[in-house]
Amino acid sequence: MSRTTRSFVLMFAITLVGFGWTAPGRAQSAADIAVNAAKRYSGTTLRVLWEAGLQAQDPLSFSGPEWKKLTGISIQVVETPFPELFSKMVTAHLAGSRDFDVIGYVPAWQADLVEAGVLEPLNPFLDKYMPKGTLDDIHPTYRQWLNWKGKTYGIFDDGDVFVMYYRRDLFADAANRAAFRAKYGQDLVPPRTWTDWDKVCGFFTEKYKPSLYGCAIQRTEGQDYFWTEEAMRNNGVRFFDPQTMKAQINNPAAVRTLAEMVNANRNMPPGVEKWGFIEVFSAWMAGKVAMIISWPPPGRWSEGYGNRVEQLKWLPETKVIGKVGYAVAPGGHSELAAGFNLGVSADSASKEAAYLFIQWATSKETSLKRVMLPYALRDPYRLSHYASREYRALWPHAPEYLDTLKLGADRGLLDLSIPGAREYEESLDRATAAAYGGTPPAQALDKAAAEWDQITQRIGVDKQRQAYQEWAGKPNAYPR
Amino acid sequence: MNVTRLSKYGLVAPSIALIVSLTIFPVLYLLWISFLDWDLQRAGRQFIGLANYVHGLQDRRMWEALGHTLFIVVVAVAAELVLGLVLAEALAGPLPAKKVIIPFLILPVIMSPIVAGYGWRMLWDTQYGPINQLLGWLVGHPVTLVWLINSKTVYFSLIVTEVWQWTPFMFLVLLAGLVAISPEIHEAAAIDGAGRWQSFWHVTVPLIRPLMLIAVLIRALDVFKIFDTVFSLTFGGPGTFTETITLYVYLLGFRNFRLGYTAAMAVIVLILISLATTVLLRRLSDE
Amino acid sequence: MTTLPTAPPWTKRAAFVRRYALAYLVLAVAFVFFLFPIAWIFGMAVKQPAEYFSSPPVWIPRAPDLGHFRQLVLNRSINSLANSLVIAGSATVLALLVGCPAAYSMARFNTGGRNFAFWVLSQRMLPPIAIVFPVFLLFRIVGWVDTYQGLTLLYAAFNTPYVIWMMRGYFRDIPVEVEESALVDGASTLRVFWSISLPLAAAGLIATAVFTFIFSWNEFLFAVVLTRARVVTVPVAMSGYFGSQSSFWGEAGALSVIASAPVFVLSLLVQRYLTRGLTLGAVK
Repeated sequence: MSRTTRSFVLMFAITLVGFGWTAPGRAQSAADIAVNAAKRYSGTTLRVLWEAGLQAQDPLSFSGPEWKKLTGISIQVVETPFPELFSKMVTAHLAGSRDFDVIGYVPAWQADLVEAGVLEPLNPFLDKYMPKGTLDDIHPTYRQWLNWKGKTYGIFDDGDVFVMYYRRDLFADAANRAAFRAKYGQDLVPPRTWTDWDKVCGFFTEKYKPSLYGCAIQRTEGQDYFWTEEAMRNNGVRFFDPQTMKAQINNPAAVRTLAEMVNANRNMPPGVEKWGFIEVFSAWMAGKVAMIISWPPPGRWSEGYGNRVEQLKWLPETKVIGKVGYAVAPGGHSELAAGFNLGVSADSASKEAAYLFIQWATSKETSLKRVMLPYALRDPYRLSHYASREYRALWPHAPEYLDTLKLGADRGLLDLSIPGAREYEESLDRATAAAYGGTPPAQALDKAAAEWDQITQRIGVDKQRQAYQEWAGKPNAYPR
Repeated sequence: MNVTRLSKYGLVAPSIALIVSLTIFPVLYLLWISFLDWDLQRAGRQFIGLANYVHGLQDRRMWEALGHTLFIVVVAVAAELVLGLVLAEALAGPLPAKKVIIPFLILPVIMSPIVAGYGWRMLWDTQYGPINQLLGWLVGHPVTLVWLINSKTVYFSLIVTEVWQWTPFMFLVLLAGLVAISPEIHEAAAIDGAGRWQSFWHVTVPLIRPLMLIAVLIRALDVFKIFDTVFSLTFGGPGTFTETITLYVYLLGFRNFRLGYTAAMAVIVLILISLATTVLLRRLSDE
Repeated sequence: MTTLPTAPPWTKRAAFVRRYALAYLVLAVAFVFFLFPIAWIFGMAVKQPAEYFSSPPVWIPRAPDLGHFRQLVLNRSINSLANSLVIAGSATVLALLVGCPAAYSMARFNTGGRNFAFWVLSQRMLPPIAIVFPVFLLFRIVGWVDTYQGLTLLYAAFNTPYVIWMMRGYFRDIPVEVEESALVDGASTLRVFWSISLPLAAAGLIATAVFTFIFSWNEFLFAVVLTRARVVTVPVAMSGYFGSQSSFWGEAGALSVIASAPVFVLSLLVQRYLTRGLTLGAVK
């Protein structure tokens, strides 16, 4: 071989070897990178703020112990009931006490949290540790939650979306179908509009009560506003006038929507005004309702997936295995109610370690394991989750379930997310609860609209107009 | 008694220091904040004088909260007075086993109001609470009243819970008053031909009226500050239907973080209570 | 003077029976009304979820077990018990330490006169909502939010007026002669206070201590604002069970037992002083 050729071959060989050595590093997953980088913090503790109850089982029983095994960092979970979450984060920041390192927050609150200085921008960490393209796997709709004013503050972690669950067997029953067709002149199918919802619900209630009711939706104060936001938008209501920023939640369409919702309660089981998430799916799993609209977990549990584990042993036995049907909520556009981002507290003394935990927990492999936990309230949110062969094999109808979730996310509606979001939400929530309690919807909504206008005035009309136009410009803000 | 001024005031000094630093000073700080424009949603704190107070006096929700509170005060205290009186009158005489039973009747007062509130929340529950079940037995068909959500029943539930917890207090006070009346007065009235009821109304009541007044004032002041019971039973719901003034101030400060405005509201509450306290103290000092 | 005519025996007996029957009826109704809720809540603590989540609800637990109590230990809610003990106990001790001397000074030497006494009493009536807010902001500056010392000092300060007012009354009940004879013998004021007055007022002291402890133990508003994660007290832990998920009734019941049983026992111990303690001495 000539000298030039030999040096060429040598360089080529060196380059090959070099590639060979660095290849594993380049193809290293987000999870591995995070774990390796975090090992130097071994022995420390990270304090994590998380929603109380079932949600907290994830860090308590799985991600906390796993992380400790991998990196030696302990996870201490601080559980807080949902209504107190926002308040707790902000008061902790206000108190200047270094209470939390990782914060699980609802994306809709992001604007307020950033303005108040609660969250740390993650961009420096992302640049340093996050492999390119990892975040692209997150469903595009949910990806809209990561940034505020150009910076990233949280990584999405929980694919919340409202799904309608219906009893296949009752809908397929020949006698039911005939009777429904005779009465209403249309087919008995999972309802596509709220008017049809009421018809179907009333039909089942009349026929089967009190052993079974047609439908149930949680009506308890504190989370009412999700359904109100969803139903109003599906009926064409917009929250604000984009020019004047005057609240539109008391216009005729909105009032009609709330009135319909209140009216729908009459076909639901007695006491539904106090039902929360747990009461609704407990009734569903006991076979006592024909349709419910709720978050993804009931879809798994009622098919028997995992509800005999320790954390869920207080759940009733599911009586509807094999009978669960999935559909998008009436109106065609489901509310992407709540959801969670994982962010880093601006007051934390261990920001990097906190970030690494988040990168690991939301990585493809780890997040798939977490959303597949039998007792998890975390729901699929990455495209790889929906496509996962493992997940799709969990129960016979799992593929249909995952497809419905993805469809729901495709056409889903984002929660309102501008500064003051929490206050707007609470005001609407109060109005809804008041209406369920007996106040006329028009009166309740007028009051809420006045409160909304006050909030807007206080924060600054121009500021809000800008923020609202940015939010309303997102593809999933309003039905298209 | 011969004692140096130093030791006289020295004995009092530590307590004054403690009280001033942790109650008086904060109140002064509160006053200062109430003159500021301090809101978590916006940067900066500027001095804006009485603007928060002006805003507060125009705040419909505040007036509604005051109204709710006064309603509860009047109804609850009246109910406690009547029930307490009935109980005290029935037990004023020499009743065997009385001394053993009465300490148990007082237990509701000793209980933490928040624990009592949450406990009663389970009792009022629509599906699983014993109250609906008892009513169902009485009327013969299932009763599914949603006590704590329906605007027609929520105040009833709230007030019953409050009355349950504090009637024993009224009862204790009135009992002490009744027992202090010497039996000869009743006997004299009986001889003059007074029946049981007349004796009660025209002899007993006037004699314990000063005590009743003090008890009513103490209770009214306490009920005005009601927080734990509302927090646990309804949290002001449905909507703001049962929102009391203390709850409203709490929400303003710790949910909405409107610090300057909250301070002004708190000062208003403080002024109202101080006025009522002055009345109470004047009464007590007459004793 | 004529003797009072006596009523015929049979009317007296009839009236006697009638009055007592009525009294016992009222007593029975009151007993049921006031104690049934407590019994029911305590029953929850030992019932199975299947029993209390059934409709109609089960009244008497069939197989009572302490599982809920065990849960409290497992999820560490039981720490709130220790926290409450420490905080309420320390606050009581501190309030007594500063309050008793002040009360003695006011009782014996009329320090500050009547006005001061009533100023102290008026402090007792201060609405917590007016204090909690600025105290929170102040504590955050010194880093005392969510600490033992923060809440303890606040409870101590808030209860000192009560201690002063009550102990002043108890000291005034002691006849001056007892102390004067000791003073004549050359004892200093402090010695008299410590060796004579305090022991004589011991019963009142214990009662006041118990009431102060109970107030601090039961307190909620200050606790829920000033504690968050590290120093949660029992009432705050209780509120944690009733967030958006209301399924942990059994544990809530168990926590209620833990929250109430100690103070119930304490109150039974000082029942002689109940009226006086609860009505700020207005009724003896």
